Amino acid sequence: MTGFRITDGIDRGTAFQFTCDGEAVTAYPGESIAAALMAAGHRRTRVSARSQMSRGLYCGMGVCWECIMVVDGKPAVRACMTPAEPGMKVQTQHGVGPGDGA
Amino acid sequence: MRETDLVIVGAGAAGLSAASEAAKHGLSVTVLDDNLLPGGQYFRRLPTSYRHTKETVFDKERARADALYATTGQKGVTYLNDAVVWEAPEDGVLAFARGADSGRIRAKLTIIASGAHDRPAPFPGWTLPGVVTAGGLQNLLKGQRVIPGRRAVVAGNGPLVLLVGATLARAGAELREVVEAAPILKRLAGSIADLLAMPKIVRQAADYRLAIMKSGAKLRTGWTVIEARGANELEEVVLAPIDEAGKVNRSRSRTVKADLLVVGFGLMPSIEMVRLMDCKLEWKPLRGGWVPVRGANFETSRPGVLAVGDGAGIGGVEMALREGKLAGVIAAERLGKLSRDQAASLKAPIQSEIAKVETFRRGLERLYAMPPAFLDLLTPETIVCRCEDVTAGELRARQDAGFGSTAALKGTTRTTMGRCQGRNCLRTLLALIAQASGQPIDQVMMPRPRLPARLVTIGDLLQEELPPIEMPKDPHLPRGEQVS
Repeated sequence: MTGFRITDGIDRGTAFQFTCDGEAVTAYPGESIAAALMAAGHRRTRVSARSQMSRGLYCGMGVCWECIMVVDGKPAVRACMTPAEPGMKVQTQHGVGPGDGA
Repeated sequence: MRETDLVIVGAGAAGLSAASEAAKHGLSVTVLDDNLLPGGQYFRRLPTSYRHTKETVFDKERARADALYATTGQKGVTYLNDAVVWEAPEDGVLAFARGADSGRIRAKLTIIASGAHDRPAPFPGWTLPGVVTAGGLQNLLKGQRVIPGRRAVVAGNGPLVLLVGATLARAGAELREVVEAAPILKRLAGSIADLLAMPKIVRQAADYRLAIMKSGAKLRTGWTVIEARGANELEEVVLAPIDEAGKVNRSRSRTVKADLLVVGFGLMPSIEMVRLMDCKLEWKPLRGGWVPVRGANFETSRPGVLAVGDGAGIGGVEMALREGKLAGVIAAERLGKLSRDQAASLKAPIQSEIAKVETFRRGLERLYAMPPAFLDLLTPETIVCRCEDVTAGELRARQDAGFGSTAALKGTTRTTMGRCQGRNCLRTLLALIAQASGQPIDQVMMPRPRLPARLVTIGDLLQEELPPIEMPKDPHLPRGEQVS
Protein backbone atom coordinates (compact mmCIF):
# COMPACT_ATOMS: atom_id res chain seq x y z
CA MET A 1 0.00 0.00 0.00
CA THR A 2 1.18 3.44 -0.75
CA GLY A 3 0.60 7.14 -0.41
CA PHE A 4 0.07 9.41 -3.38
CA ARG A 5 0.48 12.91 -4.80
CA ILE A 6 -2.57 15.03 -5.55
CA THR A 7 -1.91 16.17 -9.11
CA ASP A 8 -5.09 18.12 -9.81
CA GLY A 9 -4.42 21.87 -10.03
CA ILE A 10 -0.66 21.66 -9.42
CA ASP A 11 2.30 21.72 -11.80
CA ARG A 12 5.29 20.51 -9.79
CA GLY A 13 7.93 21.17 -12.42
CA THR A 14 10.54 18.65 -13.51
CA ALA A 15 11.01 15.50 -11.46
CA PHE A 16 14.42 14.27 -10.32
CA GLN A 17 15.69 11.28 -8.41
CA PHE A 18 17.45 10.58 -5.17
CA THR A 19 18.06 7.27 -3.46
CA CYS A 20 16.68 5.78 -0.28
CA ASP A 21 18.60 2.75 1.00
CA GLY A 22 19.97 2.42 -2.52
CA GLU A 23 16.62 2.48 -4.32
CA ALA A 24 15.68 5.29 -6.70
CA VAL A 25 12.94 7.66 -5.47
CA THR A 26 11.24 10.35 -7.56
CA ALA A 27 10.87 13.87 -6.16
CA TYR A 28 10.09 17.41 -7.30
CA PRO A 29 11.96 20.63 -6.53
CA GLY A 30 10.88 21.84 -3.09
CA GLU A 31 9.32 18.52 -2.09
CA SER A 32 10.30 17.26 1.36
CA ILE A 33 12.15 13.97 1.68
CA ALA A 34 9.22 12.65 3.73
CA ALA A 35 6.62 13.61 1.11
CA ALA A 36 8.60 11.99 -1.70
CA LEU A 37 9.08 8.81 0.34
CA MET A 38 5.39 8.66 1.29
CA ALA A 39 4.39 9.03 -2.34
CA ALA A 40 6.77 6.16 -3.15
CA GLY A 41 5.23 3.98 -0.43
CA HIS A 42 8.34 4.05 1.75
CA ARG A 43 7.12 4.77 5.26
CA ARG A 44 9.69 3.52 7.74
CA THR A 45 12.19 6.30 8.37
CA ARG A 46 14.07 4.94 11.35
CA VAL A 47 14.50 2.00 13.68
CA SER A 48 14.48 3.09 17.33
CA ALA A 49 17.66 2.74 19.36
CA ARG A 50 16.48 0.88 22.42
CA SER A 51 13.71 -1.42 21.18
CA GLN A 52 14.45 -1.60 17.44
CA MET A 53 10.92 -0.50 16.58
CA SER A 54 9.99 0.82 13.15
CA ARG A 55 9.01 4.46 13.14
CA GLY A 56 7.83 6.91 10.51
CA LEU A 57 6.48 10.38 10.01
CA TYR A 58 4.15 11.27 12.89
CA CYS A 59 3.74 15.00 13.59
CA GLY A 60 4.65 16.30 10.15
CA MET A 61 5.80 19.65 11.54
CA GLY A 62 9.28 19.17 12.93
CA VAL A 63 8.21 18.62 16.53
CA CYS A 64 8.49 14.87 17.15
CA TRP A 65 11.77 13.84 15.45
CA GLU A 66 10.29 10.44 14.52
CA CYS A 67 11.07 10.87 10.81
CA ILE A 68 14.80 11.37 11.25
CA MET A 69 17.00 9.74 8.62
CA VAL A 70 20.64 9.66 7.56
CA VAL A 71 21.04 12.13 4.70
CA ASP A 72 24.35 12.16 2.79
CA GLY A 73 25.98 10.59 5.84
CA LYS A 74 24.55 13.09 8.33
CA PRO A 75 22.32 11.46 10.97
CA ALA A 76 19.15 12.86 12.62
CA VAL A 77 17.91 14.89 9.65
CA ARG A 78 14.14 15.45 9.83
CA ALA A 79 12.68 14.13 6.59
CA CYS A 80 9.53 16.25 7.04
CA MET A 81 11.48 19.53 7.21
CA THR A 82 14.18 18.88 4.64
CA PRO A 83 13.69 19.33 0.89
CA ALA A 84 14.87 16.45 -1.29
CA GLU A 85 17.68 17.23 -3.72
CA PRO A 86 18.85 15.47 -6.88
CA GLY A 87 21.29 12.68 -6.13
CA MET A 88 20.78 12.89 -2.39
CA LYS A 89 21.64 9.68 -0.54
CA VAL A 90 19.01 8.98 2.10
CA GLN A 91 19.15 6.01 4.48
CA THR A 92 16.89 4.56 7.14
CA GLN A 93 18.39 5.60 10.46
CA HIS A 94 19.22 2.76 12.82
CA GLY A 95 19.47 3.96 16.42
CA VAL A 96 21.43 7.19 16.58
CA GLY A 97 22.81 6.66 13.10
CA PRO A 98 26.23 5.84 11.67
CA GLY A 99 28.60 4.60 14.32
CA ASP A 100 25.79 3.29 16.54
CA GLY A 101 27.41 -0.14 16.46
CA ALA A 102 24.42 -1.55 14.57
CA MET B 1 23.80 42.18 17.85
CA ARG B 2 20.77 42.83 15.67
CA GLU B 3 18.37 45.51 16.92
CA THR B 4 14.67 45.90 16.17
CA ASP B 5 11.63 47.63 17.68
CA LEU B 6 9.58 44.45 17.79
CA VAL B 7 10.69 40.84 17.56
CA ILE B 8 8.11 38.16 16.81
CA VAL B 9 8.73 34.46 17.37
CA GLY B 10 6.69 32.48 14.86
CA ALA B 11 5.42 33.23 11.34
CA GLY B 12 2.00 31.63 11.46
CA ALA B 13 -1.40 33.30 11.47
CA ALA B 14 -0.77 35.23 14.71
CA GLY B 15 2.88 36.15 14.13
CA LEU B 16 2.46 37.40 10.56
CA SER B 17 -0.73 39.35 11.38
CA ALA B 18 1.09 41.06 14.23
CA ALA B 19 4.10 41.83 12.02
CA SER B 20 1.98 43.27 9.24
CA GLU B 21 -0.02 45.53 11.54
CA ALA B 22 2.97 46.75 13.57
CA ALA B 23 5.04 47.52 10.46
CA LYS B 24 2.10 49.40 8.93
CA HIS B 25 2.30 51.83 11.84
CA GLY B 26 6.02 52.37 11.44
CA LEU B 27 7.71 49.86 13.73
CA SER B 28 10.76 47.93 12.63
CA VAL B 29 9.77 44.29 13.00
CA THR B 30 11.86 41.12 12.87
CA VAL B 31 10.08 37.79 12.51
CA LEU B 32 11.95 34.63 13.51
CA ASP B 33 10.50 31.52 11.87
CA ASP B 34 11.79 27.99 12.42
CA ASN B 35 10.29 26.90 9.10
CA LEU B 36 11.73 27.41 5.64
CA LEU B 37 8.60 29.16 4.36
CA PRO B 38 6.20 31.54 6.14
CA GLY B 39 2.63 30.59 7.05
CA GLY B 40 3.02 28.38 10.11
CA GLN B 41 0.87 25.27 10.17
CA TYR B 42 -2.59 26.44 9.08
CA PHE B 43 -1.27 28.52 6.18
CA ARG B 44 1.54 26.11 5.29
CA ARG B 45 2.89 27.04 1.90
CA LEU B 46 3.49 24.88 -1.16
CA PRO B 47 7.04 24.96 -2.51
CA THR B 48 7.41 28.30 -4.29
CA SER B 49 8.40 26.50 -7.50
CA TYR B 50 5.01 24.71 -7.68
CA ARG B 51 2.52 26.38 -10.03
CA HIS B 52 -1.25 26.46 -9.55
CA THR B 53 -2.85 25.43 -12.85
CA LYS B 54 -6.42 25.78 -11.55
CA GLU B 55 -8.32 26.42 -8.35
CA THR B 56 -9.31 23.26 -6.50
CA VAL B 57 -11.18 22.60 -3.28
CA PHE B 58 -7.81 22.79 -1.50
CA ASP B 59 -7.20 26.40 -2.57
CA LYS B 60 -10.06 28.04 -0.67
CA GLU B 61 -7.71 29.85 1.72
CA ARG B 62 -5.31 31.00 -0.98
CA ALA B 63 -6.20 34.71 -0.88
CA ARG B 64 -5.78 34.96 2.88
CA ALA B 65 -2.61 32.87 2.74
CA ASP B 66 -1.03 34.98 -0.01
CA ALA B 67 -1.80 38.18 1.92
CA LEU B 68 -0.03 36.75 4.97
CA TYR B 69 3.00 35.55 2.98
CA ALA B 70 3.31 39.06 1.50
CA THR B 71 4.03 40.34 5.03
CA THR B 72 7.56 38.95 4.75
CA GLY B 73 8.31 41.49 1.99
CA GLN B 74 6.48 44.37 3.63
CA LYS B 75 8.35 47.62 4.36
CA GLY B 76 9.73 47.55 7.89
CA VAL B 77 9.58 43.75 8.19
CA THR B 78 12.69 41.59 8.34
CA TYR B 79 11.78 37.93 7.94
CA LEU B 80 14.34 35.34 9.03
CA ASN B 81 13.36 31.81 8.03
CA ASP B 82 14.98 28.64 9.37
CA ALA B 83 15.77 30.54 12.58
CA VAL B 84 15.42 28.46 15.75
CA VAL B 85 14.99 30.57 18.88
CA TRP B 86 16.65 28.64 21.66
CA GLU B 87 17.27 31.04 24.55
CA ALA B 88 16.32 34.37 26.10
CA PRO B 89 19.64 35.29 27.71
CA GLU B 90 18.47 38.64 29.14
CA ASP B 91 15.43 40.93 29.10
CA GLY B 92 14.65 41.98 25.53
CA VAL B 93 17.21 39.66 23.95
CA LEU B 94 16.62 36.39 22.11
CA ALA B 95 19.27 33.99 20.85
CA PHE B 96 18.60 32.08 17.64
CA ALA B 97 20.39 29.44 15.59
CA ARG B 98 20.47 30.07 11.85
CA GLY B 99 23.56 28.47 10.38
CA ALA B 100 26.27 31.06 9.69
CA ASP B 101 23.78 33.82 10.61
CA SER B 102 23.21 32.54 14.17
CA GLY B 103 23.15 35.27 16.77
CA ARG B 104 21.14 37.46 19.07
CA ILE B 105 18.56 40.14 18.65
CA ARG B 106 17.60 42.96 20.99
CA ALA B 107 14.05 44.31 20.83
CA LYS B 108 11.98 46.86 22.69
CA LEU B 109 9.03 44.47 22.68
CA THR B 110 8.70 40.72 22.14
CA ILE B 111 5.69 38.83 20.81
CA ILE B 112 5.64 35.07 21.23
CA ALA B 113 3.41 33.53 18.54
CA SER B 114 4.74 30.01 18.82
CA GLY B 115 1.61 28.13 17.72
CA ALA B 116 0.64 24.63 18.69
CA HIS B 117 1.13 20.98 17.93
CA ASP B 118 -1.02 17.88 18.25
CA ARG B 119 -1.61 16.60 21.71
CA PRO B 120 0.07 13.22 22.12
CA ALA B 121 -2.47 10.42 22.12
CA PRO B 122 -0.83 7.19 23.25
CA PHE B 123 -2.56 3.86 22.63
CA PRO B 124 -1.17 0.44 21.73
CA GLY B 125 0.45 0.67 18.29
CA TRP B 126 0.50 4.48 18.02
CA THR B 127 4.16 4.41 17.06
CA LEU B 128 3.68 2.34 13.89
CA PRO B 129 4.61 3.98 10.58
CA GLY B 130 1.27 4.90 9.01
CA VAL B 131 -0.12 6.49 12.17
CA VAL B 132 0.12 10.27 11.73
CA THR B 133 -1.33 13.29 13.53
CA ALA B 134 -4.17 15.40 12.17
CA GLY B 135 -1.86 18.41 12.04
CA GLY B 136 0.73 16.37 10.18
CA LEU B 137 -1.80 15.17 7.63
CA GLN B 138 -3.03 18.71 6.98
CA ASN B 139 0.56 19.90 6.64
CA LEU B 140 1.37 17.24 4.07
CA LEU B 141 -1.74 18.26 2.17
CA LYS B 142 -1.11 22.01 2.31
CA GLY B 143 2.66 22.05 2.07
CA GLN B 144 3.18 19.11 -0.29
CA ARG B 145 -0.18 17.96 -1.70
CA VAL B 146 0.75 14.43 -0.66
CA ILE B 147 -1.44 11.92 1.18
CA PRO B 148 0.69 9.45 3.18
CA GLY B 149 -1.48 6.35 2.63
CA ARG B 150 -4.43 5.06 0.68
CA ARG B 151 -6.87 3.13 2.86
CA ALA B 152 -7.60 5.54 5.68
CA VAL B 153 -9.21 5.81 9.11
CA VAL B 154 -9.53 9.07 11.05
CA ALA B 155 -10.00 9.07 14.83
CA GLY B 156 -9.93 11.81 17.41
CA ASN B 157 -11.75 14.49 19.27
CA GLY B 158 -12.31 18.01 18.04
CA PRO B 159 -13.02 19.97 14.87
CA LEU B 160 -9.95 18.64 13.03
CA VAL B 161 -11.55 15.18 12.80
CA LEU B 162 -14.19 16.32 10.31
CA LEU B 163 -11.66 18.48 8.45
CA VAL B 164 -9.19 15.62 8.02
CA GLY B 165 -11.96 13.23 7.01
CA ALA B 166 -13.06 15.69 4.31
CA THR B 167 -9.47 16.22 3.17
CA LEU B 168 -8.95 12.50 2.65
CA ALA B 169 -12.32 12.07 0.94
CA ARG B 170 -11.69 14.98 -1.42
CA ALA B 171 -8.14 13.86 -2.15
CA GLY B 172 -9.45 10.51 -3.36
CA ALA B 173 -8.20 8.28 -0.56
CA GLU B 174 -10.20 5.15 0.28
CA LEU B 175 -11.68 6.62 3.42
CA ARG B 176 -13.11 3.84 5.62
CA GLU B 177 -14.13 5.29 8.96
CA VAL B 178 -14.15 8.69 10.63
CA VAL B 179 -14.69 8.44 14.37
CA GLU B 180 -15.21 11.32 16.80
CA ALA B 181 -14.97 10.49 20.50
CA ALA B 182 -17.50 13.07 21.69
CA PRO B 183 -21.22 12.47 20.98
CA ILE B 184 -21.39 15.71 19.00
CA LEU B 185 -24.63 14.96 17.16
CA LYS B 186 -26.48 14.58 20.45
CA ARG B 187 -24.94 17.77 21.78
CA LEU B 188 -25.40 19.91 18.70
CA ALA B 189 -28.72 21.42 19.75
CA GLY B 190 -27.14 22.77 22.94
CA SER B 191 -24.23 24.40 21.12
CA ILE B 192 -25.61 25.64 17.86
CA ALA B 193 -26.64 29.10 19.11
CA ASP B 194 -23.04 29.92 20.11
CA LEU B 195 -21.54 28.21 17.07
CA LEU B 196 -23.59 30.42 14.78
CA ALA B 197 -21.51 33.38 15.93
CA MET B 198 -19.21 32.16 13.10
CA PRO B 199 -21.74 30.98 10.49
CA LYS B 200 -19.07 30.46 7.83
CA ILE B 201 -17.27 27.85 9.95
CA VAL B 202 -20.55 26.06 10.66
CA ARG B 203 -21.23 25.88 6.91
CA GLN B 204 -17.69 24.56 6.33
CA ALA B 205 -18.22 21.85 8.94
CA ALA B 206 -21.46 20.82 7.23
CA ASP B 207 -19.54 20.62 3.92
CA TYR B 208 -16.87 18.45 5.54
CA ARG B 209 -19.53 16.09 6.85
CA LEU B 210 -21.15 15.91 3.43
CA ALA B 211 -17.79 15.13 1.75
CA ILE B 212 -17.24 12.29 4.23
CA MET B 213 -20.73 10.86 3.70
CA LYS B 214 -20.43 11.08 -0.09
CA SER B 215 -17.16 9.13 0.01
CA GLY B 216 -19.07 6.18 1.46
CA ALA B 217 -17.05 6.24 4.69
CA LYS B 218 -18.76 5.54 7.96
CA LEU B 219 -18.92 8.58 10.28
CA ARG B 220 -19.37 7.57 13.91
CA THR B 221 -19.65 9.83 16.92
CA GLY B 222 -18.99 8.49 20.41
CA TRP B 223 -16.31 6.13 19.06
CA THR B 224 -12.56 6.10 19.44
CA VAL B 225 -9.42 4.25 18.38
CA ILE B 226 -8.19 1.75 20.94
CA GLU B 227 -5.38 0.02 19.08
CA ALA B 228 -3.28 0.10 15.89
CA ARG B 229 -1.79 -3.18 14.68
CA GLY B 230 0.84 -4.23 12.18
CA ALA B 231 4.21 -5.96 11.95
CA ASN B 232 6.41 -3.06 10.87
CA GLU B 233 3.77 -0.74 9.49
CA LEU B 234 0.10 -0.07 10.15
CA GLU B 235 -2.15 -2.89 8.89
CA GLU B 236 -5.34 -2.57 10.92
CA VAL B 237 -7.09 -0.29 13.36
CA VAL B 238 -9.33 -1.31 16.26
CA LEU B 239 -12.21 1.07 17.04
CA ALA B 240 -14.69 0.94 19.92
CA PRO B 241 -17.61 2.94 21.26
CA ILE B 242 -16.96 5.21 24.23
CA ASP B 243 -19.48 6.61 26.71
CA GLU B 244 -19.71 10.21 27.90
CA ALA B 245 -17.47 9.44 30.87
CA GLY B 246 -14.79 8.25 28.45
CA LYS B 247 -15.24 4.55 29.23
CA VAL B 248 -14.49 2.27 26.28
CA ASN B 249 -16.83 -0.63 25.48
CA ARG B 250 -14.45 -3.27 24.13
CA SER B 251 -17.18 -5.84 23.58
CA ARG B 252 -18.45 -3.81 20.62
CA SER B 253 -15.04 -3.14 19.04
CA ARG B 254 -14.51 -3.28 15.27
CA THR B 255 -11.32 -4.03 13.37
CA VAL B 256 -10.72 -2.15 10.11
CA LYS B 257 -7.95 -2.81 7.57
CA ALA B 258 -6.05 0.42 6.92
CA ASP B 259 -2.61 1.68 5.92
CA LEU B 260 -3.24 5.21 7.21
CA LEU B 261 -4.59 6.18 10.61
CA VAL B 262 -4.89 9.88 11.30
CA VAL B 263 -5.25 10.75 14.99
CA GLY B 264 -6.31 14.17 16.20
CA PHE B 265 -7.12 14.54 19.87
CA GLY B 266 -6.77 18.29 20.06
CA LEU B 267 -3.84 20.67 20.07
CA MET B 268 -1.42 21.87 22.73
CA PRO B 269 0.18 25.31 22.86
CA SER B 270 3.95 25.32 22.27
CA ILE B 271 5.03 26.90 25.53
CA GLU B 272 8.76 26.18 25.58
CA MET B 273 9.79 29.83 25.06
CA VAL B 274 7.40 31.31 27.63
CA ARG B 275 8.54 28.64 30.08
CA LEU B 276 12.18 29.42 29.44
CA MET B 277 11.44 33.13 29.96
CA ASP B 278 9.89 32.20 33.29
CA CYS B 279 6.45 33.57 32.37
CA LYS B 280 3.74 32.52 34.82
CA LEU B 281 1.55 29.69 33.50
CA GLU B 282 -2.00 28.62 34.26
CA TRP B 283 -3.85 25.37 33.56
CA LYS B 284 -6.67 25.82 31.06
CA PRO B 285 -7.71 22.39 29.81
CA LEU B 286 -10.15 23.81 27.26
CA ARG B 287 -7.33 25.91 25.78
CA GLY B 288 -4.92 22.98 25.50
CA GLY B 289 -3.44 22.69 29.00
CA TRP B 290 -0.64 24.92 30.35
CA VAL B 291 -0.83 28.42 28.89
CA PRO B 292 0.92 31.69 29.76
CA VAL B 293 -1.03 33.97 32.11
CA ARG B 294 -1.86 37.09 30.11
CA GLY B 295 -2.87 40.47 31.45
CA ALA B 296 -4.50 43.29 29.56
CA ASN B 297 -2.96 43.77 26.13
CA PHE B 298 -1.71 40.15 25.91
CA GLU B 299 1.27 40.84 28.18
CA THR B 300 2.68 37.86 30.03
CA SER B 301 4.05 38.12 33.57
CA ARG B 302 7.34 39.20 31.97
CA PRO B 303 7.08 42.92 31.14
CA GLY B 304 7.53 43.57 27.44
CA VAL B 305 6.74 39.98 26.45
CA LEU B 306 3.36 39.44 24.78
CA ALA B 307 1.87 36.06 23.81
CA VAL B 308 -0.74 35.61 21.07
CA GLY B 309 -2.43 32.95 18.99
CA ASP B 310 -2.59 29.22 19.67
CA GLY B 311 0.73 29.37 21.57
CA ALA B 312 -1.07 31.41 24.24
CA GLY B 313 -4.03 28.99 24.42
CA ILE B 314 -5.77 27.15 21.61
CA GLY B 315 -8.26 29.46 19.94
CA GLY B 316 -7.98 28.41 16.31
CA VAL B 317 -6.92 30.30 13.22
CA GLU B 318 -9.67 32.93 13.32
CA MET B 319 -8.65 33.87 16.85
CA ALA B 320 -4.94 33.83 16.00
CA LEU B 321 -5.35 36.19 13.03
CA ARG B 322 -7.26 38.70 15.14
CA GLU B 323 -5.09 38.43 18.26
CA GLY B 324 -2.04 38.98 16.08
CA LYS B 325 -3.50 42.07 14.46
CA LEU B 326 -4.52 43.46 17.84
CA ALA B 327 -1.03 42.79 19.21
CA GLY B 328 0.40 44.76 16.29
CA VAL B 329 -1.72 47.77 17.27
CA ILE B 330 -0.78 47.33 20.93
CA ALA B 331 2.92 47.25 20.07
CA ALA B 332 2.67 50.37 17.90
CA GLU B 333 0.85 52.20 20.68
CA ARG B 334 3.33 51.16 23.34
CA LEU B 335 6.27 52.28 21.25
CA GLY B 336 4.71 55.67 20.56
CA LYS B 337 3.67 55.23 16.93
CA LEU B 338 -0.05 55.53 17.70
CA SER B 339 -1.81 57.83 20.13
CA ARG B 340 -4.13 56.31 22.68
CA ASP B 341 -7.16 57.47 20.71
CA GLN B 342 -5.83 56.23 17.38
CA ALA B 343 -5.08 52.86 18.92
CA ALA B 344 -8.48 52.66 20.61
CA SER B 345 -10.32 53.19 17.34
CA LEU B 346 -8.19 50.52 15.63
CA LYS B 347 -8.68 48.08 18.50
CA ALA B 348 -12.46 48.34 18.84
CA PRO B 349 -13.48 46.49 15.64
CA ILE B 350 -10.87 43.75 16.21
CA GLN B 351 -12.03 43.30 19.79
CA SER B 352 -15.64 42.90 18.74
CA GLU B 353 -14.58 40.24 16.21
CA ILE B 354 -12.59 38.46 18.93
CA ALA B 355 -15.71 38.47 21.12
CA LYS B 356 -17.58 36.66 18.33
CA VAL B 357 -14.83 34.07 17.98
CA GLU B 358 -14.93 33.57 21.74
CA THR B 359 -18.66 32.90 21.64
CA PHE B 360 -18.04 30.38 18.87
CA ARG B 361 -15.25 28.76 20.91
CA ARG B 362 -17.59 28.31 23.87
CA GLY B 363 -20.02 26.43 21.65
CA LEU B 364 -17.19 24.34 20.24
CA GLU B 365 -15.87 23.49 23.69
CA ARG B 366 -19.30 22.31 24.87
CA LEU B 367 -19.74 20.27 21.72
CA TYR B 368 -16.42 18.44 21.91
CA ALA B 369 -15.54 18.28 25.62
CA MET B 370 -14.39 14.74 26.46
CA PRO B 371 -12.63 13.34 29.51
CA PRO B 372 -9.25 11.97 28.41
CA ALA B 373 -9.43 8.18 28.38
CA PHE B 374 -5.93 7.32 27.22
CA LEU B 375 -4.61 5.96 30.47
CA ASP B 376 -7.21 3.17 30.27
CA LEU B 377 -5.89 2.15 26.86
CA LEU B 378 -2.23 1.83 27.85
CA THR B 379 -0.91 -1.73 28.04
CA PRO B 380 2.45 -2.39 29.75
CA GLU B 381 4.04 -2.52 26.26
CA THR B 382 2.59 0.79 25.03
CA ILE B 383 5.29 3.37 24.33
CA VAL B 384 4.85 6.61 26.26
CA CYS B 385 8.17 8.29 25.36
CA ARG B 386 8.82 7.75 21.66
CA CYS B 387 12.33 9.19 21.58
CA GLU B 388 13.70 7.03 24.38
CA ASP B 389 11.40 4.00 23.88
CA VAL B 390 10.00 4.09 27.42
CA THR B 391 6.84 2.03 27.96
CA ALA B 392 3.88 2.59 30.25
CA GLY B 393 4.81 -0.64 32.06
CA GLU B 394 8.31 0.62 32.84
CA LEU B 395 6.98 3.91 34.14
CA ARG B 396 4.34 2.23 36.29
CA ALA B 397 6.93 -0.19 37.70
CA ARG B 398 9.12 2.78 38.68
CA GLN B 399 6.15 4.48 40.27
CA ASP B 400 5.37 1.31 42.26
CA ALA B 401 9.01 1.23 43.38
CA GLY B 402 8.68 4.71 44.88
CA PHE B 403 9.98 6.87 42.02
CA GLY B 404 6.81 8.92 41.98
CA SER B 405 7.92 12.44 41.08
CA THR B 406 8.41 14.00 37.67
CA ALA B 407 12.13 14.40 38.35
CA ALA B 408 12.58 10.83 39.58
CA LEU B 409 10.76 9.30 36.62
CA LYS B 410 12.61 11.53 34.21
CA GLY B 411 15.97 10.82 35.79
CA THR B 412 15.55 7.05 35.99
CA THR B 413 13.89 6.42 32.62
CA ARG B 414 14.93 9.38 30.40
CA THR B 415 11.26 10.09 29.65
CA THR B 416 10.99 13.68 28.25
CA MET B 417 14.77 13.80 27.70
CA GLY B 418 14.91 12.80 24.04
CA ARG B 419 14.97 14.82 20.86
CA CYS B 420 11.35 15.98 21.07
CA GLN B 421 12.16 17.43 24.51
CA GLY B 422 9.01 16.02 26.04
CA ARG B 423 6.56 17.42 23.52
CA ASN B 424 5.19 13.93 22.86
CA CYS B 425 5.32 12.44 26.35
CA LEU B 426 5.32 15.06 29.08
CA ARG B 427 1.54 15.33 29.08
CA THR B 428 1.18 11.55 29.46
CA LEU B 429 3.85 11.46 32.17
CA LEU B 430 2.04 14.16 34.15
CA ALA B 431 -1.24 12.25 33.75
CA LEU B 432 0.34 9.01 34.99
CA ILE B 433 1.72 10.81 38.04
CA ALA B 434 -1.63 12.49 38.71
CA GLN B 435 -3.38 9.12 38.48
CA ALA B 436 -0.96 7.37 40.85
CA SER B 437 -0.77 10.20 43.39
CA GLY B 438 -4.40 11.32 43.28
CA GLN B 439 -3.26 14.91 42.63
CA PRO B 440 -5.03 17.00 40.00
CA ILE B 441 -2.80 17.17 36.91
CA ASP B 442 -2.16 20.90 37.34
CA GLN B 443 -0.62 20.19 40.75
CA VAL B 444 1.96 17.76 39.35
CA MET B 445 5.34 19.44 39.16
CA MET B 446 6.58 20.23 35.66
CA PRO B 447 10.22 19.50 34.93
CA ARG B 448 12.47 22.57 34.98
CA PRO B 449 12.68 24.23 31.59
CA ARG B 450 16.16 23.71 30.17
CA LEU B 451 18.21 25.13 27.35
CA PRO B 452 17.94 24.96 24.45
CA ALA B 453 14.21 25.65 23.94
CA ARG B 454 14.50 23.70 20.69
CA LEU B 455 17.29 21.51 19.38
CA VAL B 456 20.19 23.36 17.83
CA THR B 457 23.58 22.13 16.71
CA ILE B 458 26.83 23.05 18.42
CA GLY B 459 28.04 24.05 14.96
CA ASP B 460 25.36 26.75 14.73
CA LEU B 461 26.12 28.07 18.18
CA LEU B 462 29.83 28.29 17.39
CA GLN B 463 29.01 30.67 14.53
CA GLU B 464 28.15 33.37 17.01
CA GLU B 465 30.86 35.75 18.18
CA LEU B 466 30.49 36.41 21.88
CA PRO B 467 32.45 38.51 24.35
CA PRO B 468 34.87 36.45 26.46
CA ILE B 469 33.15 34.67 29.32
CA GLU B 470 33.98 35.86 32.80
CA MET B 471 34.67 32.64 34.67
CA PRO B 472 33.31 32.45 38.21
CA LYS B 473 35.95 31.98 40.87
CA ASP B 474 33.95 29.21 42.50
CA PRO B 475 31.99 27.32 39.83
CA HIS B 476 29.82 25.69 42.49
CA LEU B 477 28.32 29.00 43.64
CA PRO B 478 25.76 31.02 41.67
CA ARG B 479 27.02 34.21 40.04
CA GLY B 480 25.50 36.53 42.69
CA GLU B 481 27.15 34.68 45.56
CA GLN B 482 30.76 34.69 44.38
CA VAL B 483 33.27 35.65 47.06
CA SER B 484 36.00 37.95 45.83
